[in-house]
Amino acid sequence: EKADPQKTAFLLRKAWTVYSVTPLYGFRRARLRDYARLLGAFIAAEKQKGLAVEVGVELDIKVALSSLADIRGSELDQAALLVQLSSRSRGSSRNSEDKPVWWGWFCSVFGDELSESVPEHFTCLPLFLSHGAESYTALVGSWFQKTFDCCFRRLAISPLNLSWMVAMWAGCKLDRATSAVELVFSVPRLAQPLDISYAIHPEDAKALWDTVQKTPGEITQEEVDVFMDCLYAHFHRHFKIHLAAAKLVKVSTTIASAHCDGIVKILHSQYLPGVLMLLTELAISQIQ
Amino acid sequence: MDETVAEYIRRTVLKIPRDEIRMMLQKWGFLSEAQLQTLNFNQIKDNISQEVVQLCEENSADIKQAAVLDIIYNHIYQNKRMWSVYQMKKSGEELEYFDITDFKKNFKRRLRSALKNVTITFKEYEDNAIWIRVAWGTPYKKPNQYKPSYVVYHSQTPYVFISSSVLKSTLPLLCQALVVASNYHDIREMDLRSHSLNSLKDIVFKRYSQNFQTCTPKPLQGGNVEPENADIRIVEENRSEKERIHRLNQDVFGSGPQPKLEFAQYRLETMFKSDPKMDVLDKKEPFRCLVKFSSPHLLESLKSLAPAGMADAPLSPLLTCIPHKARNYFKIKEKKGLYRASFVSP
Repeated sequence: EKADPQKTAFLLRKAWTVYSVTPLYGFRRARLRDYARLLGAFIAAEKQKGLAVEVGVELDIKVALSSLADIRGSELDQAALLVQLSSRSRGSSRNSEDKPVWWGWFCSVFGDELSESVPEHFTCLPLFLSHGAESYTALVGSWFQKTFDCCFRRLAISPLNLSWMVAMWAGCKLDRATSAVELVFSVPRLAQPLDISYAIHPEDAKALWDTVQKTPGEITQEEVDVFMDCLYAHFHRHFKIHLAAAKLVKVSTTIASAHCDGIVKILHSQYLPGVLMLLTELAISQIQ
Repeated sequence: MDETVAEYIRRTVLKIPRDEIRMMLQKWGFLSEAQLQTLNFNQIKDNISQEVVQLCEENSADIKQAAVLDIIYNHIYQNKRMWSVYQMKKSGEELEYFDITDFKKNFKRRLRSALKNVTITFKEYEDNAIWIRVAWGTPYKKPNQYKPSYVVYHSQTPYVFISSSVLKSTLPLLCQALVVASNYHDIREMDLRSHSLNSLKDIVFKRYSQNFQTCTPKPLQGGNVEPENADIRIVEENRSEKERIHRLNQDVFGSGPQPKLEFAQYRLETMFKSDPKMDVLDKKEPFRCLVKFSSPHLLESLKSLAPAGMADAPLSPLLTCIPHKARNYFKIKEKKGLYRASFVSP
């Protein structure tokens, strides 16, 4: 099934929990309808076993699998795969609408590094994002693991990765930057834990990045370090606190936000491929 | 009994933790001891509150009495609310004798002249604290009892603590009534906010132990200076640095417990300055930032940063001035001609 371009709008402004996924063995694009049926039956069976997902309300879960052809980096990438769970309460009329309750999608954006190195019969979709109840994520995840012999792991985003993201996203050209460039730090090991939110006007953050970046289109680790050092120095000048010694846990810009526990929100459609490319790269390094 | 009053009492009792209901009803004093004896506190709260409502029905409770119970609840659970601090100003030097009856009368009169439908309740506590609860209505609607404002006024001081109703338009009316009733001339909001009402009082009444500059170095207490790891090789070298940090911390924070604040916010409009070698931003306009510090106990947390190696000692005056400047919201601009920041009130 081919998806229409409007489908990608649902990806924006949702908080996605991000995982890395090892290559799927024996996955066949032509069998999406069969997989939907099998996954639906699996979920129904698990619910009967007493692993109740919704308490109180009797719900039938309908499963739909589709391809999102627009979400890929190059022809070498597999098209993204969307899994959608909807509920329809039992006993309501036949024409009642299905209410979506859970989304999960697999994708690969410029993930050639991985796809080039796997043998035949393996499909590479190393990035998985889910939104909805954790219990559904567990059910869908365990079915995929059993069926395609793959492994899901929550994506840990290190302070180093987060600083790359904030530097990159702060430097993006936008007609109108509406949100501040915010960095959130945590100092947990004190007797009284401390959180520090450091939010910079987006124009000023971009102006700083523009003087740091030497070659447009290219970003080096050194440039990211200089950018961060400038922010730390400005902070230290005022508060005498060494921010670099604190833990960077979340970054947020007009384009996207990311939390170290592997939660990401994409806010700007123009930069969706760029964000996915970065996440694909992180997922692949976590797999390898 | 009015059914809206019954419902209000029922909901208020439901908020109270089960093992505190009896105590609060006793403090309230509206139900007799005999009536309280009939209550079964070993059942679910839903049932307890229904029984309380029955008893209130017997005594024909009205909204005025129900409002007193609400004040009692909010006085005990004052830290659930966010409090802002206001300071009133007198036009002259006259010291007037404070008469509580006049105050209440004038407060009610001023509010009612502006708005007919209000419920106004007073309760006095120790420490000269007068608690005022105001429920707001409109010319056509009865007061909304579920979104009241609470005011704590210490009559011997110019300070008022307000936990505002979410109905923003009511704040100016409230301030006006306070100024008129207390014979002041003006009122202004301080940039000081916290959930801990007592800490706010500690700060403005200067009840916390403040830092004193000592001429001679104080003899060191044990405790804080003990190194955490027992590595004998580095004790000597590290010890003097730890002692120095400890001493500077004491000088700046004082040795007593700090008032409890949850956050401090700084709007920075200072210039970005960097090492010229780095060849980065050199704008003539300010580098605009908003910095927010949050902690269950902010000042204790900041105090522990230098000993933990996270900050220089002494810590920046921007942070250490919070209690004695009585503010936790700041706007910092560049001082002209000097490489320093100065405080500017918004």
